[in-house]
Amino acid sequence: MDSLALAANKKAAKPPVRMAFMYMPHGVIMDQFWPKDQESFLNSPPPIIRSLKPIMDQCLMMKGISGVPINPFNGAPHALELSTWLTGRLPDADSRGRINIAISADQIMANYVGAHTLLPSLELATMPQTWKENQEGLHEGYYNHCSYRSPTQPVPAETDPRNVLNRLFGKRGEKGRVSQANPLDRQMLDRVLGGARDLRKTLAKPDQQKLDEYLDSVRSVERRIAAIETRQQEAAFEKNGVAPSKRHATDSAPIEVKIPEGDKRSEYMRVMCDLTVLAFQTDTTRVSTYVGSRPNGASYPELGFSNQHHSQTHYGSDQEKIRKVAAINQFNVDQFAYMVKKMHALKEGDGTLLDNCIMMWGSGLEDGNKHRRDNLPFILAGKGGGALKTGRFLSGVKGNQADLLTTLLDCVGVPLDRPIGIATKQIEAIKA
Amino acid sequence: MQRGAIIFSLLGLTGFLAVNVAGMDEAALRADAQKVFKEKVGPFVNKYCTRCHGSRAKAGINLQSALKNPSGESGMLHFKKAAANVKVHDMPPVDTSKQPTDAERRQFVEWIGKLKHLAPRDPGPFIIRRLTKTEYANTLRDLYGVDPSIADSLPDEVVGEGFLNSISSLQSELFLGIANKVVAQVAPTGKAPTAIQKRLFGEVPPEGADHRKAARGVARSLARDAYRRPPTNAELNVLVGIYDLGRKNNLNHTASLSLMFKAVLVSPQFLFITPAGESESKEPIVPLDDFQLASRLSYLLWSAPPDAELAGLADKGDLHKPEVLRAQVERLLKDDRSRALFDGFGAQWLRVNALDGQVFDPKRFPEMKPALRTAMIDEARLFFESIVRENQSVVRFVDSDYTFLNEPLAKVYGLEQTVRGPKMRRVKLTNPNRGGILGMPATLATTSFPNRTSPVNRGVWVLEQILGERVPPPPADIPELEEQDHQDVKGLTLRQLTERHQSEATCRNCHKILDPIGFGLENFDAIGRWRDKTDEGLAIDSAGQLPDGTKFSTPAELKNLLAKREADLARNFTERLMAFAIGRQLRGYDDVVIDQLMIKIAKDDYRIRAIITEVVASYLFTHRRIKG
Repeated sequence: MDSLALAANKKAAKPPVRMAFMYMPHGVIMDQFWPKDQESFLNSPPPIIRSLKPIMDQCLMMKGISGVPINPFNGAPHALELSTWLTGRLPDADSRGRINIAISADQIMANYVGAHTLLPSLELATMPQTWKENQEGLHEGYYNHCSYRSPTQPVPAETDPRNVLNRLFGKRGEKGRVSQANPLDRQMLDRVLGGARDLRKTLAKPDQQKLDEYLDSVRSVERRIAAIETRQQEAAFEKNGVAPSKRHATDSAPIEVKIPEGDKRSEYMRVMCDLTVLAFQTDTTRVSTYVGSRPNGASYPELGFSNQHHSQTHYGSDQEKIRKVAAINQFNVDQFAYMVKKMHALKEGDGTLLDNCIMMWGSGLEDGNKHRRDNLPFILAGKGGGALKTGRFLSGVKGNQADLLTTLLDCVGVPLDRPIGIATKQIEAIKA
Repeated sequence: MQRGAIIFSLLGLTGFLAVNVAGMDEAALRADAQKVFKEKVGPFVNKYCTRCHGSRAKAGINLQSALKNPSGESGMLHFKKAAANVKVHDMPPVDTSKQPTDAERRQFVEWIGKLKHLAPRDPGPFIIRRLTKTEYANTLRDLYGVDPSIADSLPDEVVGEGFLNSISSLQSELFLGIANKVVAQVAPTGKAPTAIQKRLFGEVPPEGADHRKAARGVARSLARDAYRRPPTNAELNVLVGIYDLGRKNNLNHTASLSLMFKAVLVSPQFLFITPAGESESKEPIVPLDDFQLASRLSYLLWSAPPDAELAGLADKGDLHKPEVLRAQVERLLKDDRSRALFDGFGAQWLRVNALDGQVFDPKRFPEMKPALRTAMIDEARLFFESIVRENQSVVRFVDSDYTFLNEPLAKVYGLEQTVRGPKMRRVKLTNPNRGGILGMPATLATTSFPNRTSPVNRGVWVLEQILGERVPPPPADIPELEEQDHQDVKGLTLRQLTERHQSEATCRNCHKILDPIGFGLENFDAIGRWRDKTDEGLAIDSAGQLPDGTKFSTPAELKNLLAKREADLARNFTERLMAFAIGRQLRGYDDVVIDQLMIKIAKDDYRIRAIITEVVASYLFTHRRIKG
């Protein structure tokens, strides 16, 4: 290591802790997901999680995390599995026709750490979030969103990887990019937002929310321009020999992301995973959510069958369906494994990128057959900068999904003035 | 009958239709509804429903609170859902001992139908909405002469019930990117001003002139076009402030105007269709002003902003006059831009816009390539357009003797011998099973699963999209048919399989209504090809019956039966168009307005232009509630 790099290294602060959530609906085939014990977890993991075997020492699984009880919404298990996933509580039963739930864990984190990065948070989804007729009189949005900026505002997700890549990481000099935009744009947008306040006042509440969604997104554009200005300053410093504060000289170079040409689901999901990795690696954001698929709708022709996911999950004792659901489960975990393995191979600070992150994969149901929620399937990967002790399978954990989210926020250093949703405690057993 | 109808035409557009066709005025109908509600609905609900749907909602239906406030929006909806369930014997559950008689069920449905008269006269608030991608592109084209493909980078929208999917922050940045491109095309820096630039920005004022005053003038005219109404003073101040910002940062007059222009293009006033601001009126309900009316009308029929003639009529304050408004509907429909009505409304109504992203088993249907999918949607589009353009009866949607084909699509019809090449053209059909949306590949495919047809989906589609009936949703915890855990399903035909629904008590009552309609279309496979045998090699049995008991044995007969229900077809089309036009679901008083429209529409033989004109001229389209 040369002296300049050493000097840069000395200056570099401890890398920030980042956290991501990746979702699959409809639960798992339990006996092909949960390891029997610690030994099988490490050495002979069951089929669904087998692709994680090479980095099991970087993973942590805990059995015994229950879901939020969904009564009085028993007739809407799929809207609830997604909408409770990061909120840890039920929608408001007295205003079902509107979105009214709670700010989600990812957005709580974004509020706390988002100011440091280009984007406060990144939300990705595999497919457009369509509106759908829903059960129990619940608003259709509950079928589509796990991220909520506020109790009444779901956060729309990006579904076009090309757009994310171009907007966030586009090559310099590319036309139409904000970084190339008129530097006055930020001040112009600020005035446009100011002017919109008068318009807002004349609107009814639901209309105000529609307008707010746009105004919020404009505000984030404004912030991004500001962040790009900062980044350009950093780049200028770098050119003059001053290393940027956040990176170590030994850190791996940012990964290459290629947008797939075809429409294979695996490639599509992997590029979304790549974008998450790149966003974390470049400190573009510190919190990310990826809805790998929404309840209903998804099919996996690559696996050799065209049935939709949900249509196979009420399998009863039908071995063929059980096989198909297990294959879908494995497929989803495989993509997660692809992501965390990649992160484990990237150097950052004194360790790897994965060391400084908490990556959570999971579902909102225990099994799709009976809609049980007693043992929600979760896999954690990464040490969260030393907060988690990985390489363990904890079988007798007692707690619910809100307890888990509360614990994870504590692990990434987000102070909470109250626990999330129905949480009453932290799950100390997962901590280092 | 006559008397009511005459008064109708005299009162025309004003919406103050106090007398209905039976000669009863609104007050009398309301009193009647109150009486029915108190003496009939209440006792029925208490006897059969409240044990489960009482103090708390079960399956989202709470009839106790609905009884307390029957005319409220949610009360009415709960009653409508309940009526749908009672009608098909889905409720009360079969295993409860207290069951209403068939006559009681019919009466209950009838009583619920009267509850609309309890609703206060109310056009609902003006619902703001963002321009769709198409509307946005067309607006840029019409106002600034740019190619609409400039908006191609925006993601396609997912639309449902007239609402758009929400916008993410990276997407909104695309609006800024597109605004940059528009400004660069309209007012390129360092080049001679374009014609449009001259029109928008005017001449550069001479040295020493009041540039700021000129900028204010430019702001006024830019905003008048872009906001589709005259800007307020506060809005002008914001825009001039942005001009000042440019000047302060050493931009010249033109470059500062460009910055201001860009601000207009990313303003919510441009991107959203909004009401014109606070109304001075003390009344809770006011007519839309002419600017709002012009936008609502042009975006409905053209997916584009008002043109000079419409804008001029709004400026003069003439547009709301009934004869002027009706003449404008006629004019807009004659214009080519009215093709947009399919992309905005038609595709959504027929649900064919899902076809693009729908998965088909590539092994079973290798022909479902992009070219064929496109042809299928084009067929639906051209067919829809022809009905509007030729002002045909709404019945022709169901029963017609022509369609539009190209070679790939003709293969689906078995007509590839006569239709060659990729160009879509009008084709006369002789096969009575085809012709109309029931035998159309686009709709047959969108109602299918990736690997097979779904008689259930098709049945629901016909009942809901075509006849406008309300089909109760399936119970939440019941697995779908193909998922059921039985070993004995192997070797059953789809029909036999589907009919097993009818052996299960929880499924039977709805499915005996849905499935037979779908079976009537079983001769069409999952991509709309004719077949005589099932995948298992068994002969297709397409016999079935409608909920009213009328029987049919071929798709052609089903088509004929549906074509006879012209009033139902027309009402459904009218309701859906109305909901689309005003951007919300219909409820309460809306039903009363639709009743009134249907009388006029019937007199014009349910012709499509009568429907469109009556919707536009209606109280609901032309008014808004601003208080309460």
